[in-house]
Order: sequence, then C-alpha cells, then structure tokens
Amino acid sequence: MTAPTKPAKAERLNKVFPVDLDKYLPEPVKRNYGRWVDRRFHGYGIIEHVSETGERVFTVKVALPPNARLSADTAEKFADIADKHGIGAIRITMAGNIEFLAGSLEAAQRIREEVEGMGFPVGGWGPTLWGINSCTAFLTCTTAVVDSPSITKALGDQLYEYFTGEKTLPAKLRIYVSGCPAMCAGGTGIDIAIVGQWGAPPKIREEILPMCLPPPKALARIPESQVFLVQVCPTGALTLRREGDKIRLLLVPEKCINCARCKENCDAFDYDPENVGVAILVGGKYSNTGVGRRLARVLVPWVPAVPPHYREITAIVRRIIDVWREHAREGERLADMIDRIGWGTFVDLVGVPVSSMHYDRPFAGTRWKDEAYPSLRDALR
Amino acid sequence: MAAPPDLPPPEELLKRADDMLKHFEGGRWPSHVSELRRTGYPLHVYGVGLVARKSPWGPSTAPVQFVSTGVLARVAREWVPGRGEEVHFRVFHTPGKFLPASFLRKLAELSRRLGVGLLEVVGQTGALVINLRKEHAEQLVDELRAIGTDVGGSGDAIRALNACVGPALCEFALFDTLAWYAEFHRDKRVNDAIATPGFPYKFKIKLSGCPMDCARANRADFGLVGIWEGAPEVDQEALRRKVEAGEVDPRRLEERCPSRAITWDERSRALIINGERCRKSMNCIRSAFPAIRPGRNRKVAVLVGGGVKGRFGPKLGWFLTMLDPDKPRDAIDLAFKVIEPWDREGVPKDRLGDYILKVGFTEFLRRLGMEASGRHVANPTYIPYKVLQREERDKFLKLSEELGR
Repeated sequence: MTAPTKPAKAERLNKVFPVDLDKYLPEPVKRNYGRWVDRRFHGYGIIEHVSETGERVFTVKVALPPNARLSADTAEKFADIADKHGIGAIRITMAGNIEFLAGSLEAAQRIREEVEGMGFPVGGWGPTLWGINSCTAFLTCTTAVVDSPSITKALGDQLYEYFTGEKTLPAKLRIYVSGCPAMCAGGTGIDIAIVGQWGAPPKIREEILPMCLPPPKALARIPESQVFLVQVCPTGALTLRREGDKIRLLLVPEKCINCARCKENCDAFDYDPENVGVAILVGGKYSNTGVGRRLARVLVPWVPAVPPHYREITAIVRRIIDVWREHAREGERLADMIDRIGWGTFVDLVGVPVSSMHYDRPFAGTRWKDEAYPSLRDALR
Repeated sequence: MAAPPDLPPPEELLKRADDMLKHFEGGRWPSHVSELRRTGYPLHVYGVGLVARKSPWGPSTAPVQFVSTGVLARVAREWVPGRGEEVHFRVFHTPGKFLPASFLRKLAELSRRLGVGLLEVVGQTGALVINLRKEHAEQLVDELRAIGTDVGGSGDAIRALNACVGPALCEFALFDTLAWYAEFHRDKRVNDAIATPGFPYKFKIKLSGCPMDCARANRADFGLVGIWEGAPEVDQEALRRKVEAGEVDPRRLEERCPSRAITWDERSRALIINGERCRKSMNCIRSAFPAIRPGRNRKVAVLVGGGVKGRFGPKLGWFLTMLDPDKPRDAIDLAFKVIEPWDREGVPKDRLGDYILKVGFTEFLRRLGMEASGRHVANPTYIPYKVLQREERDKFLKLSEELGR
C-alpha cells in the first residue's frame, strides 16, 4: 500500500449513507410529503394516492423473481419504463416487490402492459397474495439446508392467479420461505412460513472442527463456558470431554434441538439430505390488525423438500389456502380465522396428524425466565 | 458441507444441474434462473446444489481496507465441477427505498462493470445487494461512495436500518419515519456501530409509521412504532356522507372492531369510539379514512428484544416506553442505553431479546434505570411468591395506607 492513499481509505470508516430525501424522492412525492389524504384501488395492482393538494400518484405493484434477483439488463429496462411512462422513479418494497410510480391512471396502465409483456405479473393488493419473500439459500448461503428461491418459484407458479387477483382470497396473504432455522426470509411472523429443517442432529466433520476451536493447549486451559461453540449452543448439546490427555468437542444428540446455531458459526457441522425437510407454520403477522401481532405456529413439523416440483410443500400450502378460503369470513386473515375457529379445529380441517411439535417446548430447562413480558397492545390506552 | 453420498460423476452432474435449471425457467412466476442467465453469475454452481440437495457454497474471504461489515465472499465446494466464486456487498438502500431511474441505472452500470451484472434489489435486512468481482472490491467501495451510498450491514454490528415509506407515500404515518431514519444515520455512534462490529450479536433498528408495522419493527432488537393515545378522531359529518354513499357500513365497523370499542348510534347517526378500549388495530381507520383518522395525541412506541435468529428462537419485541414523535434524538440515546447492559454482559451470539430472557424484564429495566409503565402486562404471573425489593413493598404499603384512611 502506498502511503498517501491510506488516510483516504481510513475515511471509509465514516460511512456515506443515502439519507438525503431531496436527492432520492421523486418530485410529486416531495411536493406532497405528509399531505396524502386518501387512496383508491384500481384492480389489485394499482393504487391511486390522493394528496390534499389534489395531486395524484399512481403506484403499480409488480412481482419480482424469487429473492428479488434482477439482472442489470432488466434493471435498466425497468429504469427505461419508469422514465417513459412513469415519473422517473421506482420503489422497492420489503416484500420483495417493485413499485412503479406514475402520474395518471393511463400511464399506470401502460406500465402494467409493458411489465406484463416482460413476464412480470401485476397485482398483490387487497384480498390477494401480496408476495413471497425468500432468503438466498443455495444462491450464496453456506448454511441453507433447502433452496428457498426454487421453492418460492414452485409456489409462485402454483399460486400465480392469487397474486394477479384472477382468483381472490379472504384477505391478504404473505408467505416467507427460509432455507434453514436462521429464518432469513423474515422469520415466522407471517401468514404462512416455510422453514428449512435439519430433521436430525448434525454430523460433525472432525477434520474441520479444529478450525472452530482454540488450539489444543489453550483449549485445555479455558473453562468450558468460555469456549465459543459451547456458548453458541442453547441447550448444552455441545460439550467438552476429556479423553486421556486430549480434549474433544462432543455433540449430545439427545439434547440437540436442531436450531443450527452451531452450523451458522462453524463449517464442521453437516447433514444427510435424506433427513432434511421443511417445517410449515401458519397464522403469524407483525401487524396489529385483527387479533394483533403474533408468531406463526408449527402446523407441519417436517416434509421433504424435493426439487424441482416440491410437490409435498405446494400441496400442503394449497390445502391451507383451500381451508382458509372455505371457512374464513370476508376480510379475515389466516391468524384471525384460526383464532376464531380454534387451533385444533384448524389442524383437523387441514388434516394434519398430531405432532410432538404441536406441544413440545424446545427450550425447557434452559436459562429462560418464564415471566410475563409486556406487549405493545396491552400497553395502549 | 461434504459431498452427498450418491453424487453422479461430473459430466452427468452438470447435465442434471442444467436440466434442473431449465425447469425453473418455465412456469408463469418470474424466474430467478432466467435473470441469472443474463448475468456472469456462476449458474452451474447453483444447479449442482439443487441436484445435490446441499448448498454448493463454502466460506471464503474478500478483505477490503477499512471495510469491516457488508462484504461477503463464498467459494464453491470441492465437489462442484468447475468450482466458482461469489462475492457480494450489502449496500445501504435509499430512504423509503425510492430509486430514481437515473440512480437505478448507475447501480446497474456499476454492477456490470465491476461485478457480474446482478442485483438483489432488496435483501431481508432491507439492504441492496450487488454481486461483484473480487478484484474490483476496492474500486466498487469508492465508486459507491461517489454516487452517495456505501457498504455495510453484516456481522455483530448495527445492521442496515429499515424504515417504512412513511409520510412520503402513506396517509397513515403517525411520525416522520424517514426523517428519523436520516437522524439516526447522522449520529456518530450509529455510524461507528455500523462500520465496526463489536456487540455480542447483530442489532437491528426498524421504524414503522403506524401499528400495521410495514417495516417489521416487531421483529427488531429496537423497534419504533407510531401510535396515538385515546380514540381515533371521527369527522361525523364526513362519515355520514360515506355511510349515505354506501362506502361504509357503520354496523360492520362495530362488528369488525377487534377491541369492541365502537358503537353506532342510529338515532344521532354518530359513531362513538371508546378510547380506553381501543387497541389501535386500524380497522375502522382503514375502512373509513379520512372520516375516521388516528387521534392527535401521537407517540412513538419503543419495542425491544424482537428478532428472528437468536439463542431462544424467534421473538416479538416487548414494549418498553413511549417517545415524543418530534424528538428522534431521544430514540437514539435510548437505543444506546439498551445496548449498554447487553453489550457488557451478553454472551456471544445472544440477541438483546435472549439477554432480556436470561436476566428477566424486571432486572433489565433496573439496569436501564427505568420503570415498568402503567398497565402493560396482560398476563401476570400465577405464582404467588417472590423476593420483593423494599421499594416495591413500600409502594403497596402506601396503597394499603391510602385505602385504610
């Protein structure tokens, strides 16, 4: 490294954050900032935002490929469409959709035609599928056990007409697909969550393990509670054993809960694809609407994830949606319906056998203080 | 990950990988594989992973000077024929995730010139991801900084913040999420905690303008949610017009209110909302806006300890306190106040919520020097014994004295 460049590089510790609203917000949005008073829906894919000044902005919602992957080519085509028909800007949503902003309903319709021509469906508002979030899994992740983008693609193909609104649902539906228990697609606070499951305790690759542990001499001196991998395991399944003058890290399979935290922190933990599957959870949401926020509960503890069709997964998701469509009241999200009819009734309607995951608590016996914790809804007055 | 047991020989494996990839280019839903085909991404690696039913990627590194977060590098496992590598930056997204077409073009151009021409336009942290070529990493940092953004948001640091679109395009925003978002980023402590990892685990800050929580503040370590106190405001005249026009059915508002806080008085044709009962589910407001709108006494609720990944599994944040919507600095100070005991005592890879579960919420409050406010526990303990501190007994002594008077 040459000396003069060093101060410039150290300057990198002062991050450049893109927070200037003036630079990034489109003009009509800036003019009406904080002045929106109403919205109207035009079908399931276009929203008209009305400002108190009378100005209108039309938003066209478009589904993106799984894991929100876009080639530079497609990104440029989108930029061209935004300039040609829209107000020269798009917006990306946390749900992994893209929104084009337009100045009139006619312009919004033209955007719709162009993106549909490119193979991207428009929809996802009102009583429809609002989108499917997927983590990256086999596209880049080292810890995923199933490939969520391809599961998302299989689900999207099956549920396409629920996004466009050709077929509607009782209320909004969102799905998160995560490749492993880290649940990077957004967790389980959602209507339907699909989470990659190890199925069986990890197999340790002994040849890799030393890379994740202190050198043998240090390991002999450090208290067990200070060894990183022991600290990471929430149930004490990873433990040190002295064998003669050697110290080994052992996995006690009876204590393992398959949380995969060891794998997230050390590459030595491995699995057999035959054991792997997905858990399917239902009835979560982060929103305070209806019965309020809650985490989804495990409906199906494990089914295999077999590409390319993932038939086991799509069949169960379709079944859940069918039961919901048949039994929900208008406007009732999955969580609200399950709350009304009761969990047991819902499990029976879907036709799922009782599983230990319907009643077991994986962290029993760990240092978890089972106290009452304050929730926002209870605090409100 | 080791090679799965019955992996076919390399040529057969690559052929099956290609068949698998082709399958995902069919169907009506947009295809990630079709997008990846238009880029320099090593698609065969992904295909081999699908056939093997194992992630084809192993850990690697891409050192970038004075950049400690946001750079991630992978190398294909030894059983992937032809190998391959994958390096990506997590890049800070724009406020409200608005992308001017000119800015989107710049990103596309950068990704093509210094990378493989591939973007992940939103990651689950809310970041924007750019795949790059390892040898261009230093240059890409400089060029991103030149266009007004930067690399960061991984490791045991403050992650990329996430704010909902707020007042920019939503009539329900109860505080200025984007102004707060900017204010957080201007704070030197926030900058430093984003640039350099040093906490027990990641720390996420999310801001939602209303209780519908589009920014998922409920799953943040430190979540901020716009709220109001009391009943929603009803413009009875405007509501009557909506009722007469058939846009709103007042009986339905009554029936659908999850808090059972609404009564429609047929005689005066007025809607009465009991603010004490109202749980802010937004049902009536969404159905009859702007005739029914949030109350004027606005607050920002602080939730702590939420998170997906952590020692004790997924958690929703717990209510801590209310803040003034005009004072974002208070929120920044409070964020660092809750970080302090966790950072000092937390075990590696404990999220804030895991730490709170270990010490208990009461003890956590004591460490912050804060008190449990008001009636915020709906689910008190069923065990009638506990070691109580003197002050707590004194509080109830005072109550009994008052009642005995």
